[in-house]
Amino acid sequence: MSALEEWLREATRSLASESTAMVRREIQDHYEAAREAAIADGHSAEQADMIAVTSLGDAQTANRQYRQVLLTAAEAGMLRQGKMEARAVCSRPWLKWLLIALPVALIDAASVFFFHGKAEFARDLLLAGVAMSPLFAALLLPIYTRSRGRIFRYAKWIVVTAAVLLLFGPEALKWSWLLLSCLWPMAWTEWTRASLRRKLPVSAWPRHLYL
Amino acid sequence: MNFKGTLPALILQALAQEPTHGYQIAQKIKERSEGVLDFKEGTLYPALHKLENDGMVESYESVENGRARRQYRITRTGRGMLAKDRAEWRQLSRAVTTILGEA
Repeated sequence: MSALEEWLREATRSLASESTAMVRREIQDHYEAAREAAIADGHSAEQADMIAVTSLGDAQTANRQYRQVLLTAAEAGMLRQGKMEARAVCSRPWLKWLLIALPVALIDAASVFFFHGKAEFARDLLLAGVAMSPLFAALLLPIYTRSRGRIFRYAKWIVVTAAVLLLFGPEALKWSWLLLSCLWPMAWTEWTRASLRRKLPVSAWPRHLYL
Repeated sequence: MNFKGTLPALILQALAQEPTHGYQIAQKIKERSEGVLDFKEGTLYPALHKLENDGMVESYESVENGRARRQYRITRTGRGMLAKDRAEWRQLSRAVTTILGEA
C-alpha cells in the first residue's frame, strides 16, 4: 500500500462514503499538485512522493478535523433514517393526523376524568398531553427557518422538562434514573441533529433537522 | 510557528484576490509569510469545508490543464468576516506590541 493510500485510509476513518469520496478526491488532487511542484524543483519521483505525503501532516489530526466538519458514517445513517421516518409519516396522511390527534385526545381524556372526579389522574394525562404536543404539533407549525427552528427547539425542551417535573412533582429526584433513561434517547437525537445542522448548509437541511 | 485559530482568516485572505484551488491556497500562505507559517496541508481542507458550511466560501469544479479541480471563492459574507478578522488582528497585534515594548 502506498504512503498516500495509508494516509487516506487513516484520514477518512469513520467518515460517510460521500465524505470519504470527497476527501480522497481533494487530497489526491493536492498530492498530485505537490508532487509535480517537487519534481519541477528537481527532486526525483521517490523524493517527490515523500515530500507530497509529508506535507499533508498527521493523518489522525486530519481525521479528527474532518470528523468535525464532514458527515460520519453514523450521522449519514441517522440522516437517512430520519428521512425515511419523515417520508413514512408524510406519505400516510392518517398517520400524520393520528400523531397530531394523540396529544389532543390525551387532553380531552384529561377533562373527562377531571369531571368524573379523578383529578389526580386527569392532571397526569393533561401533563402527558402537553409534553407530547410540541413534538407532534411541529407538523403543523411554520418552523422551517433557522431562527424559528431554534426557538421551537428551546420551547420544546422547556415544555417537556416542565411537564415531566410537574408530573413527578417532589418525587422527580427519586425517579431521576427513570426520567434520565426516558429522556436519554431524545437528548441523544438532539445532540446528533445539532451536529448535522453544524455540518450541513441550511439549504440542505431536511425538515426533521428543524425539530 | 503555531497559528491555530488564524487559519480561516488566512484562507479568506488568500482567496480575496481571485478564486483558487486548495494547493494554491497553501502555497500562497507559505510564500506570503516567507515560510514562517509552515502548516500541515492536510488540515487546510477541513478548515475550507468549515468555511464552506458557514457560507464564507463556495466551491465549484473547473478544468485546469485538462484536469478537473475544485476551486474555492470567497463570498460576500466571507469578505465581511475577513474585514472583521483583519480589524481584530490589528487591535490585538497593537496591544501585544505595546506590552512587549517593541512599538
